[in-house]
Amino acid sequence: MSTEKIDQLFNYVQERCLWQFFSRSWDRQENLDGILKAATELLTGKDPARETPMDRLFYADAKIMVQDFKARFPWLEEAGAAQIRDLMHGLKDRLSEIAITGSLNHELNHTLY
Amino acid sequence: MGCEISTRERAGIINPMYDCQPAGAQYAGIGIKDCIPLVHGGQGCTMFVRLLFAQHFKENFDIASTSLHEDSAVFGGHKRIEDGVMVLAQRYPDLRVIPLITTCSTEVIGDDIEGTIHRCNLALKKEFPGRKIHVVPVHTPSFKNSQVGGYSECMLSIIKSLTSAKAAPSGKLNLFPGWVNPGDVVLLKRYLSEMGVDGTVFMDTEDFDSPMLPDKSIHTHGRTTVEDIQGSANAMASIALARYESAAAAQYLKTEFDVPYTLAQTPYGIGNTDAMLQTISQITGKPIPDSLIKERGVALDALQDLAHMFFADKRVALYGHPDLVIGLAQFCLEVELKPVLLLLGDDNSRYKKDPRILEMKKTVDWDMEVFCNADLWELEKRAKDPDTKIDLILGHSKGRYVAIDHNIPMVRVGFPTFDRAGLYRQPTMGYQGAMLLGESIANTLFAHMEFNKDREWLLNTW
Amino acid sequence: MPMVLLQCDKDIPEREKHIYLKVDGEDTRSFLPISNAPTIPGTLSERGCSFCGAKLVIGGVLKDTIQMIHGPIGCAYDTWHTKRYPSDNGHFQMKYVWSTDMKESHIVFGGEKRLEKSMHEAFDEMPHIKRMIVYTTCPTALIGDDIKAVAKKVMEARPDVDVFTCECPGFAGVSQSKGHHVLNIGWVNEKVGTVEPEITSKYTINFIGDYNIQGDSQLLQQYWDRLGIQVIAHFTGNANYDDLRAMHRAQLNVVNCARSAGYIANELKKRYGIPRLDIDSWGFNYMAEGIRKICAFFGIEEKGEALIAEEYAKWKPKLDWYKERLTGTKMAIWTGGPRLWHWTKSVEDDLGVKVVAMSSKFGHQEDFEKVIARGDSGTYYIDDGNELEFFEIIELVKPDVIFTGPRVGELVKKLHIPYVNGHAYHNGPYMGFEGFVNLARDMYNAVHNPLLKLAATDIREPKQTPVKEAAE
Repeated sequence: MSTEKIDQLFNYVQERCLWQFFSRSWDRQENLDGILKAATELLTGKDPARETPMDRLFYADAKIMVQDFKARFPWLEEAGAAQIRDLMHGLKDRLSEIAITGSLNHELNHTLY
Repeated sequence: MGCEISTRERAGIINPMYDCQPAGAQYAGIGIKDCIPLVHGGQGCTMFVRLLFAQHFKENFDIASTSLHEDSAVFGGHKRIEDGVMVLAQRYPDLRVIPLITTCSTEVIGDDIEGTIHRCNLALKKEFPGRKIHVVPVHTPSFKNSQVGGYSECMLSIIKSLTSAKAAPSGKLNLFPGWVNPGDVVLLKRYLSEMGVDGTVFMDTEDFDSPMLPDKSIHTHGRTTVEDIQGSANAMASIALARYESAAAAQYLKTEFDVPYTLAQTPYGIGNTDAMLQTISQITGKPIPDSLIKERGVALDALQDLAHMFFADKRVALYGHPDLVIGLAQFCLEVELKPVLLLLGDDNSRYKKDPRILEMKKTVDWDMEVFCNADLWELEKRAKDPDTKIDLILGHSKGRYVAIDHNIPMVRVGFPTFDRAGLYRQPTMGYQGAMLLGESIANTLFAHMEFNKDREWLLNTW
Repeated sequence: MPMVLLQCDKDIPEREKHIYLKVDGEDTRSFLPISNAPTIPGTLSERGCSFCGAKLVIGGVLKDTIQMIHGPIGCAYDTWHTKRYPSDNGHFQMKYVWSTDMKESHIVFGGEKRLEKSMHEAFDEMPHIKRMIVYTTCPTALIGDDIKAVAKKVMEARPDVDVFTCECPGFAGVSQSKGHHVLNIGWVNEKVGTVEPEITSKYTINFIGDYNIQGDSQLLQQYWDRLGIQVIAHFTGNANYDDLRAMHRAQLNVVNCARSAGYIANELKKRYGIPRLDIDSWGFNYMAEGIRKICAFFGIEEKGEALIAEEYAKWKPKLDWYKERLTGTKMAIWTGGPRLWHWTKSVEDDLGVKVVAMSSKFGHQEDFEKVIARGDSGTYYIDDGNELEFFEIIELVKPDVIFTGPRVGELVKKLHIPYVNGHAYHNGPYMGFEGFVNLARDMYNAVHNPLLKLAATDIREPKQTPVKEAAE
């Protein structure tokens, strides 16, 4: 059941989110960490930090994604905080695998842009 | 008063009139049937020239690149030539000619073109026994000459490479028009046919204007065959119509195979067309037929309505290929237009001694400037200058903004004319071409009068 | 279904690594086309050169800058009148091109003096222009002309001018892409931070990677104005040279074309800590999403929603009119790279159009990760497609319309397939809400062109329904 839900979230991100495909693996990791953290906070009723420019960037990306999640996946409303954290953790693993560890992109680990 | 010849003194160019040599070579190359030119250089040297041809003709032409990359720039590009030739031969089974066109980069690197072609020939022979593919070396470094010279060089190289020995005389006439539009080729072929002359036009670009057909077949390619080119050595004579674009090839056939050669007047305007037809008639012994006398008369009849009423004293600036510009200046004189500025766009030192220019120098009794190695900035500076006062611009589309920004009527002629529809289909040569150009000039001036409220009422009763 | 070896490629089997047919259940961990790799000679590839990637795509868009091309005449001639990027100052950048017109003697003896003279002349001839970019080309790079030294000398002689140099000979890299890179990195190294902008708003961005094609930048600028966001620099649509020197002062980099300009956004993040936000500027849904993200960044969400509501009210009915009529249309996209992933989902969501084949000239694997993630199964994803491949793919997928360049457009016309200019547009702009209606309109008018039916008719064949005799 949870795999199916992660699939839905994963498919959404694959289809819509350019931040998963930044130029280098560390940029992708940074986005994954930052945006999914902010998204988890938003989904669990917390207010993400908006202190630094990067905070605000992650917040902006997360906010729109979370709005879409809620609109597309009504089951999220019923999920508890712990389940949401699990789902988002699972999503992060999947994204990390496709965009970083399992990516066939030869340019991901060039030290320069 | 009189004609002055000057040359650009600035080192740099602002808005060039011509492209570089490889562009001209590519234009000559695509005139051959079953031929894909292979340009040895960076990819831009091919991609942009294909785009340029597409802009002008609204057609796609096949031209390949050796796609020179950094390693070739360091270690030489021989391998890329060999690969390119083999890939073309493998994937295009009808291919018979590959002009191998060099560029600035590969000439600077100093790739051994002839040696590489020798290796290509061995490989081709091995992989395709019984199939002959002519790989023709065409040396066109971009830092020499211009598209004009590049066209001439490729024509010459193709004739040189494909002709070998003189066989039985064919009785045919070789006609080398130079870099012209399909509309001109169709006209010249019609003239030959009406005169009953068996001739070959090099290159036959009639199908550069090609149809959309129900069976979706594509016929956009040159019509000049390998046999046509080989046969040029057996012709009764050659006539070159462009001093700077096609004379070299005809001259070669004379030197190498004793094919008599005449450099005729480039047939822009009535008088030049007369001279061309008389030359053809003299060489072949065929009379000029009534049909062409009639066509000449119709053109004169049409131009007569325009010349002393509308054209007289109009000051004209012309730019483009040298044979075109000089020929059109002569046409202007016939219809009482005043050529005041002729821009020739490369550093060819022969322009200054061109007999047609020297002849004009003798006859014009107004200020006329022949500007060599020109760019279109020279045109723009004169368009801005109230003393020059240009009433009409004759030139290609690259100068369009000079006309637009300075509100000067302009008639597109030459290459490229991508900002007007269908011009490649119309002849500029011959009686018909002179008439069409004259009428196009008139209609452009008329529209200008109307939109600028400049005696537009004159036409109320014309 | 993995990578595909087309019939026409049997003699160049390495092409198999560049063509992918997506099947349900697959993703980019298993198959990702090789890209940004050397071109196979003689394939009739569509690629251009590194020089044009720098000059024609990016630098040449600047509306107040002399583009001095140090080389033979062709490089200047060919990168002039081949783009449609207007400006609000009379299109200076589309009217002029400059060349040092290198001849053989300069190749032999070096072209630095000639470059210096040409630069002074250019400034003298156009005294109101004070900015210049100098580009190397293949031969001047090969002979080793030091254009940086010459630029320095000219700047010393003329204190009021500023010159940027770009060393991007056509043979560098494998396509235009290398030129994008050289210009991006050179600019951030040498020019960013050398001008301080006047800050007029609490909210500042750079808009990176849009080139004002048929007025794209100018259309989007209306949105930023309405939102009260100051765009410090457009990289490089309708932009001034000095705007780009002040890029370090923006709070946010909004990136549209990540391929041609992602580099500078990355460097600005690394060096100046400016976050990079990638958006899609084509498509209703995407444009709204981009505006929402930018507004969320600045905490001005209400303004964003108001703007989106206004734009939707104005343009959505028009878009829907086209969607109703375009749904089910099969589209191919054969362009540079990013438009594949920008468009494949937006035409599907906003217009009901299915993209059946896509080919990229200069995209990298990053671009293929994006497009394969977004695109459909049953669709072909091609790197550096060539002419024979296009013919074969057309037979396989039978597109109703192809978004590509004018030359390929002329080619497919003979196959009775209409084209819409995917680079320079037919009648744009295509970005933003209004722009996407323009794209829809152009696509609709293309696929409904009555001439296509006439072209397919063979009048020698007997008519299906016999004409009634007049006497009956």
